[in-house]
This record gives sequence, C-alpha cells and structure tokens, in this order.
Amino acid sequence: MEEKKGGISEDWLAFWLAVLIFVISLLSYVGTDPLGWVVSTKEWTDSSKAIAPTGKMYQSVKGEITKIDGNKLTIKKSDGKEETVTVSDASIYKVGDVYEKKGLSGFASLILTYIFMAILFSIGAALMKANIVKFNIGFFFIFWLSYLCWFIGHYAYFAATDAKKAGIPWSLKLTGEGGFIFALILGLIVGNFFRPFAKFIGEALKPEFYIKTAIGLMGALIGLKSAEAFGLASAVLFRGLCAIIEAYLIYWALVYFIARKWFKFSREWAAPLASGISICGVSAAIATGGAIKARPVVPIMVSSLVVIFAVIELIILPFFAQAFLWKEPMVAGAWMGLAVKTDGAAFASGAVVDALVRAKAETAAGIKYEPGWMLMAASTTKLFIDIFISIWAFILAYIWCAKIECKPGEKVSGKEIWRRFPKFVMAYAITFIVILLISAPHAPKIQPVEAQINKIKKEIAATEKQLASVTEPAQQEALTAKINENKNKIKELEGSIKESKKIINDTKVATSGTNSLRVLFFLITFFTIGVMSDFRKLWEEGIGKLAVVYLLCLFGFILWIGLIISYIFFHGVKPPIITG
Amino acid sequence: MAEEPKLAEELKKMEAEYEPLLPVEKKLIVWSIGLGIALLFILVWVSYTFFPGTH
Repeated sequence: MEEKKGGISEDWLAFWLAVLIFVISLLSYVGTDPLGWVVSTKEWTDSSKAIAPTGKMYQSVKGEITKIDGNKLTIKKSDGKEETVTVSDASIYKVGDVYEKKGLSGFASLILTYIFMAILFSIGAALMKANIVKFNIGFFFIFWLSYLCWFIGHYAYFAATDAKKAGIPWSLKLTGEGGFIFALILGLIVGNFFRPFAKFIGEALKPEFYIKTAIGLMGALIGLKSAEAFGLASAVLFRGLCAIIEAYLIYWALVYFIARKWFKFSREWAAPLASGISICGVSAAIATGGAIKARPVVPIMVSSLVVIFAVIELIILPFFAQAFLWKEPMVAGAWMGLAVKTDGAAFASGAVVDALVRAKAETAAGIKYEPGWMLMAASTTKLFIDIFISIWAFILAYIWCAKIECKPGEKVSGKEIWRRFPKFVMAYAITFIVILLISAPHAPKIQPVEAQINKIKKEIAATEKQLASVTEPAQQEALTAKINENKNKIKELEGSIKESKKIINDTKVATSGTNSLRVLFFLITFFTIGVMSDFRKLWEEGIGKLAVVYLLCLFGFILWIGLIISYIFFHGVKPPIITG
Repeated sequence: MAEEPKLAEELKKMEAEYEPLLPVEKKLIVWSIGLGIALLFILVWVSYTFFPGTH
C-alpha cells in the first residue's frame, strides 16, 4: 500500500498534493476561478474547436446579443447555443449587437496544464527521491501521448452518443472517456512492444501515485453531488460499506481454502494470494504479506500477476457491464469496485463503466444519467476496501502471531492499523466533507424553488398568449396585473435563493477545475498502467500454477459473487436523471 | 535481484513439503464465510430500511 523509496511515502504525497490543489480551488469563493485555465476537451468534428479552458472566465465568447437583463447579456453563439455573460457596464450594448470577448486559447490552456502538472508531479517525484531529470523526460512523453489518446477519443466518430445530433453518419458511442481505453491500449503497446522506450520513461511510471492524487480531488466533486442528492449519496456510501464487508468475508476465505486445500499452497503463499486475488490486488497482497511476515518476494510475485489480470479485467468488464447491466447502472459501478483489482484499474474501470453505461442508457432508452454516480459507486467500494485492508491485515497478523506462528513476546499493536492505513483516503474524506458542509445547507433549497419559478414562467407565457388574443381593456388590465404579480413572485423567489445559488455556483467553479485535473490524472494512470503491464510475465516459468488459481478463482466465483453482492445492495438504485 | 528465488522452485518446494490445514485455519475459513452469510441478511435489512437509495 505505501511505497517508500527513501523519501516521503506515495500515500502521504498524494494526500498533500490533493489537499494543496483543493485549497487553491477554494479561492473560487472570493470571486475568482483559480483553476479555470485547466484544459477541457469536447467531442469534436472540427479539431480546432476541441479544446478550451474549463472556466467560463477564461473562455472566448462571440455572438449576437439577444437579451439584456441588468448587467447580464444573453449571447447567441454561432453554434446556436445561448450563453449568459456578466458585464460591468451593460449600457454600451444593445440587442442585436455582436459581443466578443477574447479568452485563453485552447492550446495555451493545454500548455499551461502540462506545465502545471509537470511542476506538481516533479515536486512529488523530488520528495520521493526520484531522479527529477529522468522523471520530467518520462512525464513529457506520458502526458503528450496520453493526451493524444484523449483528443482522439473525443473525435465524434468514436465519442458521440447520438451520431445524428453530432451531424455524422455513425459513431462507436464510446463517449469521450473512450480516450481512457485508447490510452490504455497505447500503453500496452508501448509496454509490450517498445520495451526500451518503456524503460526510458520508467522514472515517471507511477500510476498509483497519479490515481491516489486524483482520488483525493474526487472527494470534492462527490461532496457536491452528495449535497445535491443527499439520500442517494448516503445510500451509496452505506451500501458500499456493506458490499465490501460481504466481499471480504466470503472472497478471502474461499480463495484461501482453494489455494491451501486444492492447490497445496503453503500458508506463506496462500494468504497473500488470497488477499491479492480476492480483495484489492497489490495493496492487499503486500499488507497481508507483511502481516503474516512472509518473505518480500511472495507478495511481489503475487502482485505482478495481479497487475496483469487487473488490466485484463479493465479491458473486458466495463464492456460486459455495458452490455448486461446498463439497466442497473449502480450495480455496474459497484461491481467494478469489487471485482477489478488495484486502485488504478478499479477507479479507471469505474470511469469507463460510467461513460459506457450512460451512453448505452441514452441510446437504448433515451435516459440521460448524471455523470459520475457509477464512478462514485466504484470508488466508494474501492476506498472502503482500501481502508478495510488495514483492519484485515491486523486480524491476520493477530491470528498468525497468536495462533499459527506463535513467537514468545511478540504482540500486535493498534499502531499496525495506522501504519497500514491508506493515507490518501484522508484527502478524499477532507475534500468530501468540506464541500459537503459548504453545499449541504444550500443545494437542496435551489431545485424546488427553481421548479416553482419554471412553473410560474409557464403561467406567464400562457397569460401573455391570452393577453394577445383579448381586446377588452378590463380583461387586458386584469391579465397584465396577473403577469406583473407573477413576475414579482419570480423576483421574490429568486431573491430567496440568491445567496444559496452564489455559493453553489462558486462550489461548481471550484470543483470543475479540480475535476478537469482529476480526469487528466486518471488519463495518465491508464497510460502508465498499460506501459507497466508486461505480459511476458505470463510465460515466466512456474507462474502457470499461480495463474491457474487466479483464473479459476476470478472467473469461477469472484466476479460472480461480486456481481451478486453488488446486485443485492445496489439494484434499483439509480443515478439522478438529467432532464431538459 | 540475483538472490530472488525462482517461482518454479518455490512451487516444487511447496509440493514436497505440504502444510496441512490447521484447525485454526479451518476455523478462520468457516467463521469468515459464516459471518459473511449471517451479516448479509442483517446488512440488507439495514440498507433497505434506513438507506432506501431514492432521490
């Protein structure tokens, strides 16, 4: 779980980097957009329009002014979409004028993003005592090759969920997140066919570090989502906890039994193997190996196999879930968290399944699910698993110490739990709780009031229609009074949620910047996982027996028990649907 | 990693020196699965009663 190479541990570093970025993002509450310059990529048919800064403050806007309300201008852009901009002096504009604001170009935003990430991770690499020059050379290739995949992945022919809407004859409907798969495939090609190059960029191949930092940032986004749908979020959290308790208790014991009884593995091999195959891959194998005092080579060998199979799972399972579980999106998400080993691959598969299932639900049933909820189910179960590893390792350490390999005077202390605790999870908890506390008092107020406002607006539109058809002055007067009364009601309602809306908008500004970074951290994780997956290991002498146990357990029951547990706890739970 | 033992050798050694399942290991397996099944019913009830998952 914690990888120490002389310097600060990877877990602590991921914790501090995530907290640092999060604190920067909070500057949004003082009226700025501190991470708005981070690049975001849109689905494209014209590559020049694919990339732009995330924040509106940094984007270029050009179009015809269709409405002026106070200091707010409504602009109709060339693509037909409307956008509202706030100006300091609206009196210099009139309806019909062309409004233009020059912002940061997409390319400049991309370069800035690269520089920011390179500096950020270089600091991390320096603190981990890595070679900074080698790291930066490696990171240069990792970033740009990964981004190329991301860019290609957003090509409408790959990404569009509605080809007609995108103005193209067909599409693979992968959504933009298909770029993750492309990055993984390119990584696998590099790792297996261009080994000298993979070695050359090796210093920057730190997928667990990138993904752990990303997870720390993800807490903020989930915090906002939870504030907006508190009942659902608390259900996902609790059910995720239940699912992993079940998975631990059933999976581990079964794999341990099979490895010991049928495959005659020794205790030293069977315990890390059971943890590695059944629970959480590398982290669990290492923690268990430590807990039972196995030789270091044991969890390392188990881990090398786990990583390879995790990549196979990552490639297969999201598509399987898309085909068979698109009607139960949260089951699909939780299943990824329970079945796919290693943090990187599990979170990554959560992201892919989120995109694939949403695309399928939209094309097959016209249901547009809010993005991120399946990823939340996957990450919740995975995070609980990570937390639980320390407890499980403690239990095993106690049993081994007290009952199996009893050595006089040896004791298992509570400190052991803390030592094995995945520290990066605390960044997730902090960002989640802070954003939840800020947003929870405000988010629930907005939606019902906005629904009321929309209802009144419809009433006004109907009354205006009526007004146009009546000629009697008394009737006209009554209808005009009704319209004015309704308009006043709207003003009153808008006033009642003005403060709440401001806070939620500021929170959205904060989380959209961190989320754009999180997506890029995920992206480089996919690529680096691919590069590090050397399939030659499968042909290594003797690994066949381990691989057979792995295959038998994984496809024999782990996947299916995980699916059943996910189904029991998550069926019928649906992400919010985007309307309008 | 010159001293790293070969996996094949490790496996051969395991076959030669089989460690039978100890009663405490059997107990761990049975308790773990038993607890898992018992808790399943309790946790499902708690989930559906107190965390209905609607929004």
